[in-house]
Amino acid sequence: MAGRASLGRHGLRGHAGRSTALARLLHEECIQLLELYRKRESLPSSPVAGDYLVSVPPLVPQMSDAEKISILHAALKECLRLLEDVITREDVEFSEEKGEYTRQRTTVKDRLGHLLVSTERLLVDGRRFEAAVKEELDGSGKFGLKMWILRVLQDLVHWTGQTSNTLNQLPVEVEKATKRISQRTSRVSRKTRN
Amino acid sequence: MEVYLTLALLMSRGVILALGHDGLVDVPVPSALTLQTNQTAQTLSLTWESDSSGFDIEIFHTELMNVVMNETVESEADPSTRQHVWTWRSMLPIECTSHSVHIRARHQQTVSQWSPLQTIPGYDVPEQSSPKMYPQDKVVHVGNNITFCCIVGEKVNFDRILYDGKKMNATRVSRRTYAITVLNQPVSRVTGTNVICCSDALTLTGSVVFVGYPPGDEDLLCETRDLTSAVCSWKKGRNTGLRAKRQRTKYTLNGRDCLDGQKLSCSWTSWEQNWTLVAQNPLGSVQLTDSAPLADRVHLLAPVDVTAVDVMAWNVTLKWRWSVAAYKKLDMICQLKLNSRELTVTRNFSATGLSSVLLDGLWPDVGYSVSVRCGSLHGFWKWGDESAPYKIHTKMERPIPPDVWIWMDSDTSGWVLWKPLSVSESHGALDGFEVSQSGTDGDRWSTVSLSQNNFSYPITLTNTSDITVTVAARNPAGLSQASSATVPAFRAVDSLLKVSELTGTNGGFDLRWRCDVNVSAGFVVEWIPTGCSGLCAVNWLKVPRSNSSVRVPSESLEAGVRYTVSVYSLSAGAPVVLERWNGYTRELPPSESVVKLSPVQISSDVLLSWKAVPMKQQRGFIRGYSVYLANAARLQLLANVSDPDVTSYRVTGLSPGSYKFVVKAFNSAGEDSGSTVAIKLEINMDMMVVGILVSLGSMFFCLILISIFCYKRREWVKKAFYPEIPGPKVSGDWCSPQGPLDVKPPPHSLVHIVESPEWDFGKKGLVPVPEEEEEMENVDTDSDEPALLKYYNQVVGEDSRSNPLSDSSGSSTFSVDSGQTEITYTGIQSPTASRGGGYRPQMQPVSGPDESNGGFQSDFQEENSSSGYKPQCSWQLDSPEAENFNGSLGSPTSVTSSQFLLPASSEENPPAHAWFHSLLSRKS
Repeated sequence: MAGRASLGRHGLRGHAGRSTALARLLHEECIQLLELYRKRESLPSSPVAGDYLVSVPPLVPQMSDAEKISILHAALKECLRLLEDVITREDVEFSEEKGEYTRQRTTVKDRLGHLLVSTERLLVDGRRFEAAVKEELDGSGKFGLKMWILRVLQDLVHWTGQTSNTLNQLPVEVEKATKRISQRTSRVSRKTRN
Repeated sequence: MEVYLTLALLMSRGVILALGHDGLVDVPVPSALTLQTNQTAQTLSLTWESDSSGFDIEIFHTELMNVVMNETVESEADPSTRQHVWTWRSMLPIECTSHSVHIRARHQQTVSQWSPLQTIPGYDVPEQSSPKMYPQDKVVHVGNNITFCCIVGEKVNFDRILYDGKKMNATRVSRRTYAITVLNQPVSRVTGTNVICCSDALTLTGSVVFVGYPPGDEDLLCETRDLTSAVCSWKKGRNTGLRAKRQRTKYTLNGRDCLDGQKLSCSWTSWEQNWTLVAQNPLGSVQLTDSAPLADRVHLLAPVDVTAVDVMAWNVTLKWRWSVAAYKKLDMICQLKLNSRELTVTRNFSATGLSSVLLDGLWPDVGYSVSVRCGSLHGFWKWGDESAPYKIHTKMERPIPPDVWIWMDSDTSGWVLWKPLSVSESHGALDGFEVSQSGTDGDRWSTVSLSQNNFSYPITLTNTSDITVTVAARNPAGLSQASSATVPAFRAVDSLLKVSELTGTNGGFDLRWRCDVNVSAGFVVEWIPTGCSGLCAVNWLKVPRSNSSVRVPSESLEAGVRYTVSVYSLSAGAPVVLERWNGYTRELPPSESVVKLSPVQISSDVLLSWKAVPMKQQRGFIRGYSVYLANAARLQLLANVSDPDVTSYRVTGLSPGSYKFVVKAFNSAGEDSGSTVAIKLEINMDMMVVGILVSLGSMFFCLILISIFCYKRREWVKKAFYPEIPGPKVSGDWCSPQGPLDVKPPPHSLVHIVESPEWDFGKKGLVPVPEEEEEMENVDTDSDEPALLKYYNQVVGEDSRSNPLSDSSGSSTFSVDSGQTEITYTGIQSPTASRGGGYRPQMQPVSGPDESNGGFQSDFQEENSSSGYKPQCSWQLDSPEAENFNGSLGSPTSVTSSQFLLPASSEENPPAHAWFHSLLSRKS
């Protein structure tokens, strides 16, 4: 967090814009990934029974945007962990055969990492939240694994969509944060010079 | 005694039990029935105790009490445990629902009571409330049938079961269990085929099934690369379709796990005589074996560090190194593959631990690429790996002497010619040639150096002595040996030397000439395009003296070109021409037509003349000419001139008109496209003038004869053609000219001549003129002419006959049919005799019919009373019509009457043109 102030010429506002665009793109890619998986496995479009795997405090309107971003950042972090787990398990249980799905899977994983870095830069002063995974995979056969993978992908779609929407409604709050960071950076610089 | 008693009691009891209450044999009920399931094998094992050997077994799906098995089985009790065991395999996984079983003993037709039902609970009991599907993660053979069941959760509605996304027909097995059966399953995808159980809106549960084949690997072969270890490889064979990691084929070689099995290769550190590979997957296994001594399975590695240590012009020494020390003691055979730009050759060498060879038979200054591979000499198994190509370039060497010939194009001039040297002949890039010519005394030589691109040199002879010329080629390695030739005696083509015609065969010339005993150095066959000038494309071929025939190859010859082929004999002096031919290897139709084709008319003939096709365009020996007459669409052959020396043809017997002639030269290959000439044949003018004069003379003579005849017989002619016209005979005094005639003219004293404007040339005749018509159209009131003939050209038909006005009363009509003309004599119509409108000449422009009639009649009567008959009285001199009339004599406006309508004053003073009027009257 120490280096958060050094955001370059464009500042936080430009960075938030890039994060928004990144989240929007990742959301679309997650939808594609889910569709590719359903198509590859000939799965019905009906959702899998059960709630979202990743659990975070509810996003209530009273929360500030920074708090919302912090919550979503935590959820995305768990999503990335789940996705990496999915990739490992898939490669262990099934073949590492390359295809459109596996390529998209890698793309989403990389993009999600970038989004996490990007949103982390938007986290300024304030509360930090943690996310939890309600259900871990219980060794209930190949079909159970597939359904778990499906749920992970559904979570990815959900949380990237939430992040995209939240970042889209962000500018005013972040602008203030930008000013605060600028002031703090100036103070730090003066102290350093003195 | 007690023992026997006991036995008897027991026996009697057994009999009683067997007979039962009906007195028949009573079969005891099997006891101690227990059930045991094997979920993997989907089997249900029954164990019971009974003395019988025949049993009826019934198995139910407990909830709905559907009988799924009802069978009579024979079973012997295990002597040690006295238990019967029988296993049933269920199509439906045992976990899907509860199964109940009962059993009874059977002895022939007698059966025992059913044993109490034994039930083994399934997973659809209320205690197991979560959804499930069975079987899970099953691996089955392609084509197998399999039954899946879905146990839905409590209070959840079942909707469908999907197999690989396709909805299947489900059967209800129990309250919560539904089953599908899939027949003849295809190979599944890598991650298996999904079977999914769904409610209306959710995916409830599911299973994955892997469908594939057992391993089909084949052709195990083991070999050694280092003369110690072993490498075994095989072919995969049929794809198992099971690519998930846990279903993949696993390999063991001689009982040891083969970690590289997926690469179809397995290594072992030492050679074993016998090899066994076992390939296994969940659906089965296959065992492959191989057996061979090490020496028979040597597969050498590639030589390394191949280098050329001694590169010469004609050979190279090649060395290499072996990466395995054991190879040095191996008897091996090595194959060197030599690639040059033109060809590829292989050469084999063998030795123990071979690592160096002398590669000879190379050409100087040629680049080669060499690669080496080796194999075991004894018990050769296969060639080892091939080394990377190594490039070498041999050194240069002096060229070979060029092939020289001298071609004379006149008595005193000629060309020294030599053939270019190929790469294999030049032995290096040529720098040039040196041409030397002996002097007149034979001792002094003059030498010139020419560049490498020159292959000819002109020479000029100043005397008749034999001149010798030598040519040598030079490259960086040195000068070649000189090649010499003596200037041959020139023999022109049109000299006395007999030139034969030569026909090509297969694109070349097969030559044969007479032997000449004086020949000491063989022959030279020379061929050039006939008629060429300057530096021609001269080819030659040197033939040993022992030969008297040769084939001129087709490569240097061209179809459609005439060649002059000469055979020279070589001896001590100048070469002498032995024979000469002209010929074509293959004739082609002439490429051009005859030239200067011209026609000349000779009377009714046409003489066509032309000049022959130029020799270069003949492309074959011209055999003659075809003369055609070109019609509109085709050519009509007039003649074939078979003598090629004849260049004219006379086309005879042509009538005047335009003609187009086509002349085509032809050879054995066909005709050319033809030259065309046109000519217009005209009549002979002299004869025409004579004919005209004769005709004119004859005509003039006839006229004279006719004139003489007419003069001699003029009286007869006059009578025949101009008879006297009798004058009119008038009764009464018609000569009293004064005063108007107060006489009613006699009827039928006038003849009207009327031209009908509607003359039908098809039917013309003279018809009687009705009075009213006369009145309506033209009324001749000329009082000077008491009698007039009026000719009416009118269609004689029904219309005219039916005209009610035609039979006018008071008029006598007499018609004479005269072929086409009727002559009608009509009486002068008296004004009082007029009916209806009455007499109305020239009145229409003045007023309407009624008024005019009335007016006219009153006027007429008035005039009659005062001045008598005066036709045309209505005319006034000062009227414009009268003036116009005078001015329009003979004009169409006056045609309403054949008589001129004269004013009254004219009777006393006839106008100046009265002569014309009298002429017409006379005529009529």
